[in-house]
Amino acid sequence: MNARLQSIIDDARKAWTAERAGGRAKITVTLDTSSIARGAEQTIAAIKEVAAKKSLDIDIGITGSWGLCWAEPTLTVRTAAGTRTVLYANVTADRVEELLEKTVVEGGDLPSLAVGVVEGNATAAIPLLSEHPFMQGQVRRLMANLGTTDPENIDHYLAHGGYEGLGRAFEMGAEAIVKEVLDSGLGGRAGGGFPAGRKWDFLRTATAEPRYLVCNADEGDPGAWVNRVLMEGDPQLIVEGMLIAALAANARWGYIYLRYEYPLAVRRMQLAVDQARQKGLLGENILGTGKDFDLIVFKGAGAYVCGEETGLINSIDGYRGMPRIKPPFPAQAGLWNKPTNVNNVESYANAPLIMRQGSAWWSSVSDAKEKGTKMFTFSGAVKQACCVELPFGPKVRDVLMQYAGGPASDRPMKGFQPGGPLSGVVSADRLDLTLTLDPYRELGLFLGGGGIVFFDESACTVDLCRYFLSFAEDESCGRCTTCRGGTQRAVEVLRRIQSGGGHDGDFERLEGLVRWLVYSNCFHGQFAMTTVKTALKQFRSEWIEHIEEKRCRARVCPGLVAYQVRAQGDPKLAEAKEICPTGAIIEANGKYEIEDAPCIRCGACREVAPSAIELRDLVMAPVAAR
Amino acid sequence: MGAEPTVQELRNLVAEFEPGRGHLLPALHRVQETYGYISREAIEVVAGQLDTTPALVYGCVTFYADFRTHRPPQTEIAWCSGPACRLAGGERIREALEHTLELPLGGHSEDDRYGLHLGQCVGTCHESPQVWVNGEVRGRLTAADAIRLAREVKAAE
Ligand SMILES: Cc1cc2nc3c(=O)[nH]c(=O)nc-3n(C[C@H](O)[C@H](O)[C@H](O)COP(=O)(O)O)c2cc1C
Ligand code: SF4
Ligand code: SF4
Ligand code: FES
Repeated sequence: MNARLQSIIDDARKAWTAERAGGRAKITVTLDTSSIARGAEQTIAAIKEVAAKKSLDIDIGITGSWGLCWAEPTLTVRTAAGTRTVLYANVTADRVEELLEKTVVEGGDLPSLAVGVVEGNATAAIPLLSEHPFMQGQVRRLMANLGTTDPENIDHYLAHGGYEGLGRAFEMGAEAIVKEVLDSGLGGRAGGGFPAGRKWDFLRTATAEPRYLVCNADEGDPGAWVNRVLMEGDPQLIVEGMLIAALAANARWGYIYLRYEYPLAVRRMQLAVDQARQKGLLGENILGTGKDFDLIVFKGAGAYVCGEETGLINSIDGYRGMPRIKPPFPAQAGLWNKPTNVNNVESYANAPLIMRQGSAWWSSVSDAKEKGTKMFTFSGAVKQACCVELPFGPKVRDVLMQYAGGPASDRPMKGFQPGGPLSGVVSADRLDLTLTLDPYRELGLFLGGGGIVFFDESACTVDLCRYFLSFAEDESCGRCTTCRGGTQRAVEVLRRIQSGGGHDGDFERLEGLVRWLVYSNCFHGQFAMTTVKTALKQFRSEWIEHIEEKRCRARVCPGLVAYQVRAQGDPKLAEAKEICPTGAIIEANGKYEIEDAPCIRCGACREVAPSAIELRDLVMAPVAAR
Repeated sequence: MGAEPTVQELRNLVAEFEPGRGHLLPALHRVQETYGYISREAIEVVAGQLDTTPALVYGCVTFYADFRTHRPPQTEIAWCSGPACRLAGGERIREALEHTLELPLGGHSEDDRYGLHLGQCVGTCHESPQVWVNGEVRGRLTAADAIRLAREVKAAE
């Protein structure tokens, strides 16, 4: 190991051990976008306040996500002796005093908020965290430090195996690094699965200089936040991963293209880069080895197609982020027409693990063809919106039940979206599909970057398709007529169907668009119709009902449903009239009525007067049997 | 965010940026972070600094959803357009907000007191359906909550 690196690591380890032996209890609060949305900052303020009031001598730290996004704020309490650590969830500010009283003051636990014991022995009331159902089956490698280290402190990373992989990479040299990554079988984590080692080798063998690395941190798929969890939780893992790739590909500069919607991730990535530079891990003559490499955190500005690698390159170059026409590929002519390699955040983040522990260890985590672990987020009609790290291979049904806590209500599941607005929809009778790439490809869909969204029978697939097509239309860069005009046309047809104007030929019209959009330049247009294509196949009867019977079984489509007063005399009706934003509810002599024309179907009246107002089909289904 | 900047102030603000080095987005972010939006003058200054045309800069400003050509309202309600929020009734909330505020998405009141913005999912889907009021999450909203919120924002001085 490089002597300078070894001494940096040794110092960080000593500091970590000294802090633990300091004889003070420590509260470590998860501080990320999800926990902040649920009050983590107020929790930290309350901890400080209670500690001051009770003169408690404690340390307060921050850390990344345990994945329990739905149960934030989470925090751990470590005893003063440093031998016992317990994870708590739902610790809102108002619960802080009781928690500190029971733990720090009395030296016990607070079982009502406890999730599990991280370090130390289980009790009758609190199991070991590793035996908690949410942790069973997870293999937290990328997320290993989340919950433990402070993402804003490089020393914490260094004290937990950080930069050891870089040390090995320096000893190996470019060709051996590429071989190790190829042997591991690491595939691109954005969804394509293309071998990362091959991409790095394209760059290594390119002739022009300088070469660039780009980390795609645009995470534009709504419903996916795996990259955010990693950047907010362990940003040094990404810095180290890009450094290893830079050694493999002989790159001089790296860009981290990060969406502006993630300001905390931007701040933490920037801090991580600055701290790495201060330690001599970035810049010129890194650790005295003669290698030069530096990173630039580049903030996006809100455009989905900038997640497409050549759109991204144009965006950094200073143009509209319109995807280019390939070839040339980025490895030949990318940033400023120089050789460039684009990988997803999670792809780079695996490199330190492969270097540190070897490709054989890394790929042996499961029998699946896709090697290593993958981070997923689950959301939608589930009880527990969460983030997990799993080996490829479990069944969708099992992860839904085990990690996402099952369906949100007693309504049956209707289906799920396997990864982003271009990926398609899958009906619930296929919940036995595994989380691997092939089964989706075979069905004409794809498993994307890790954001899986479940929907139940309260969702309408025509409406879902209109949503995804509206998204695709909004985000089309406008270069190709097929994509720009095709998505527009699809939205028109879908809107018409939703407002009761579906007619003969609509299936053919939509199926035509499915065929034509594949002639677009980039994946955005090529895959924009995937949701419609897959929904038409799997949910056809629902579409027939919309078009022929003018009926939406989920009662979602605005033109096919109506709100109506069902029971007069309910005192809540006055409130309903009051809340209605359009004046659609009229009252005469104590009798209420909803006028259909001004009603925008916002449903507020039914929320305040649920037993007096009903939602019904606008046109009753024809009696004639189909 | 204060008074309108002078051309000289704008020039100083972006003086460190250079042509041909990927500095267009950083320069535009700098302007917007300082003044809240990107004015016509700012577009010309940035174009001059980066040795390009105002047309190209303007083309970029309008391409990206984050860049504004109008000063931000005092109170901005951003509506989450993401899938979890939609499945939890987000579309009904949008309708409610648009009608109560009498604004389309992207619109603002004439006096710039309030505006309605299209927000993207940031993975706080556990709070769906949600909006952000000046960046702060208001989650698990009903349409009725959204109407009350919009009425409050509209009535506030
Ligand atoms: C419209 C569109 C949006 C995309 N968005 C992202 C994104 O947000 N993040 C990402 O890593 N890749 C995204 N991609 C895929 C990238 O083009 C590219 O394939 C990927 O960054 C390669 O990384 P990997 O090989 O490590 O998976 C997108 C592709 C398209 C067509
Ligand atoms: S397919 Fe759509 S997003 Fe892609 S280049 Fe063509 S118009 Fe642009
Ligand atoms: S659904 Fe909304 S617009 Fe229609 S009557 Fe009820 S409150 Fe009024
Ligand atoms: S869908 Fe609204 S936050 Fe994710």
